[in-house]
Amino acid sequence: MFGHYLALGVRHLRRNPVLTALMVVTLGVGVAASMATLTVLRAMSGDPIPHKSDRLFAPRVDIRPDDASDPDPEPPLQLAYRDAVALHGARRGVRQTVLYGVAPAIDPGRPDLPPFFSNGIAVHADFFAMFDVPFVKGGAWSADDDTRGGRVVVVRQSLATRLFGSAEPIGQSVKLRDRDYVVTGVVADAWDPLPRFYRQIGGQGAFTGMEDVYVPFATAIAAELDQNGSTSCYNSGDNDVPGFEGLKQSQCVWLQLWVELASAGDAAAYRDFLAGYMAEQRKLGRFPRGDNYRLHDVMGWLDANQVVAEDSRLQTYVAFGFLLVCLVNTIGLMLAKFTARRGEIGVRRALGARRLAVFQQHLIEAGVIGLVGGAVGLVLTLGFLWLIGRQSTQLAVLARMDWVMFAATFALAIVASLLAGLLPTWRAMQVQPALQLKSQ
Amino acid sequence: MHLHPILSALLRSKTGAALIVAQVALTLAIVCNALFVIDARLATAARPSGVDDAGVFQLTYYGIGTIPDPAAMMQRDLEVLKAIPGVIAAADVNSFPISRSGWNMGLSADPTRAESVIGAGVYFSGESVVDAFGLRLVEGRDFEPADVRELTARNGNLQADTVILSRHLARQLLPDEATVVGKTIHLGAGADAHPMRVVGVVDTLMSSSGQASPDAHRAFILPVRYFSDRAQYAVRTAPADRARVMAEAEKALTALRKDRVLTNHRSMSEIRETRYRQENAGANMLIAVVVGLLVVTAGGIVGVSSIWVSQRRKQIGVRRALGARRSDILRYFLSENLLITTTGIVLGVGLALGLNQYLVSHVELARLPSGYIVAGVPAMWALGVIAVLGPAWRAAAVPPAVATRTT
Repeated sequence: MFGHYLALGVRHLRRNPVLTALMVVTLGVGVAASMATLTVLRAMSGDPIPHKSDRLFAPRVDIRPDDASDPDPEPPLQLAYRDAVALHGARRGVRQTVLYGVAPAIDPGRPDLPPFFSNGIAVHADFFAMFDVPFVKGGAWSADDDTRGGRVVVVRQSLATRLFGSAEPIGQSVKLRDRDYVVTGVVADAWDPLPRFYRQIGGQGAFTGMEDVYVPFATAIAAELDQNGSTSCYNSGDNDVPGFEGLKQSQCVWLQLWVELASAGDAAAYRDFLAGYMAEQRKLGRFPRGDNYRLHDVMGWLDANQVVAEDSRLQTYVAFGFLLVCLVNTIGLMLAKFTARRGEIGVRRALGARRLAVFQQHLIEAGVIGLVGGAVGLVLTLGFLWLIGRQSTQLAVLARMDWVMFAATFALAIVASLLAGLLPTWRAMQVQPALQLKSQ
Repeated sequence: MHLHPILSALLRSKTGAALIVAQVALTLAIVCNALFVIDARLATAARPSGVDDAGVFQLTYYGIGTIPDPAAMMQRDLEVLKAIPGVIAAADVNSFPISRSGWNMGLSADPTRAESVIGAGVYFSGESVVDAFGLRLVEGRDFEPADVRELTARNGNLQADTVILSRHLARQLLPDEATVVGKTIHLGAGADAHPMRVVGVVDTLMSSSGQASPDAHRAFILPVRYFSDRAQYAVRTAPADRARVMAEAEKALTALRKDRVLTNHRSMSEIRETRYRQENAGANMLIAVVVGLLVVTAGGIVGVSSIWVSQRRKQIGVRRALGARRSDILRYFLSENLLITTTGIVLGVGLALGLNQYLVSHVELARLPSGYIVAGVPAMWALGVIAVLGPAWRAAAVPPAVATRTT
């Protein structure tokens, strides 16, 4: 019977073309507004590394002086050099890396390719294994390079192609600012996690701009590669030493630390370690605000960085509110459509059709409307996403539909139309055959 | 006009009426809150940064390696820039308002009280930032050459003995003073706080972060010429000259030396556009939803009313045959609609407040001012009346002869 009802539903679409078109468009617009905003929200709030996001941790310690100048209970998002290096050196995790953004100029030394600035980060070799960075050639530098500060570099595939063309990139040398570095690995362009969870993010940087160079942390520090990112300083008194050395000795925060633990359960032990470290440092007069530390896993870190714009959440709520209004509207339209068919239903019932059959038939018809509405909604969703993407490059990255959202659009449209169809279908089922036949 | 017949007719078609009531209520609730958000976003995006948006542009070069002669480089760059016809002022600057990249420092009126430190955006230059940004000096004077301190990136702290404050910052630092010019404030607090004399106040100047809160108006200027591997300039021209001067300036400065790369070359209007893109995008999206809501709801009213009119053709004909005028029929449908929308509005006001409450606790929205509801209620009435006019007009056109026909 399902097939027959489905065919009937499709045929009935043409019965009241105006009413049908109104229903389909209303449903489509509501579904599209919801799905477009949801797509952006989902891209923003997704788990970028699901299989280990609960084992990767970013610690934060409250370095601020004990005064009322900054009443925010949350400690700074980044670490000072001495803390980052000390916590990293303790090697309490399976893997760990310090990281900070750098932007050294690259001079290809070719007349056809003038010098340009790169987008890079300084990390430890563990970084690549911790965050599952895929290599197309070569690999991370050695642990020895980490300690010694070797002049080595990992580059992104697109940069390798730009610099060396089709030549073998491994072993080539790249001039970063004023020194030469040897390429040990090439990271696949396919590595493009959304959001860029491993960086101190928020605002612009969370979704666009992948790094093209990765430099060993010790090397970057020795070469005094300036930080490309934000630095916050808390004690005005301790920057007597100028320049990069001063930054290293200061209470300014500009680094991040990531630690990979063997299991999520090891977090408690790491918290104890952090508390112990702070207690020890407090003897030196540091950390006057007490045991104020945080240990975030990946999702917690994204939350602390407020990666999901409040506005996107608000827009999604509003869009679903709109869908609700569209649904109420569709109920009215469907009611009108089914009411116009009362006589017909009366005849069917009089010929022996049971209420359940009438119910099934009309619900399937509602589903057909949902399916068509879903198709219209899909086209509109793509249109809306295109419009959203035009607003900024960041939104352009987020406003992309994948198969999950593709399927979800149809599912939402069908569920919505079935919901909208419930009341009209119920009313259709209640039709008294005798009453209808009498009035004919 | 008696309400009784309308009410009893409505009670016979409860579902249709309930659907309109629900739509009106939901629409009113969402539209009020959305308009409130739209207004807030557009107001944020319309805030003046203090800078002459139409006349200023940014030009930034970074040294490929270490620049050996940053002082000479800056001097030469400024000479070349100022020689370009159409340039009103040019200055080396550390950052631009609302550009989302720059420096913040703490100032205090009383350095013994650490809690009095106020964080603010800082601009510094060896030239006049007031001239180069096109700021309005409302009190005191601009810096004089004698005020200027020199500093290189690799030695010493950023300090000066004189300072110019934004009016907002001046009021927050020294709320009780009639005039702040001549007063002393401090960079930082505690033993290392550095005293500075306020020489001037500018009307408006936003920090480089340019956040949505009023704190974005906290900013100050120091007379410090800062030498580093970066050469960044603010240039002001007449709005009509800007495009030409921008191109000429880039050409001239790029030709000067080969050991640096152009990293930023954009007008203040572009900086502004980039900063407020999110606000504008959000407002646009909500405006689209509001329009969609109004259209859908109006469409719903038209739909349900049309059905009623066609269902009641016979009755309308009978009424007309019994002496009712066209205007009576029109009035009947208008009153019926008013009754339904009013019910929807009453529910909608409650729903609007409830929705706002939810948004306040979930997405950090402010409380909805009553003005939006006061404006929303007549708007919904108007929407209802306009939507029902068509069907009501068709109802009024039903001829009395219909009464005589069967079916």
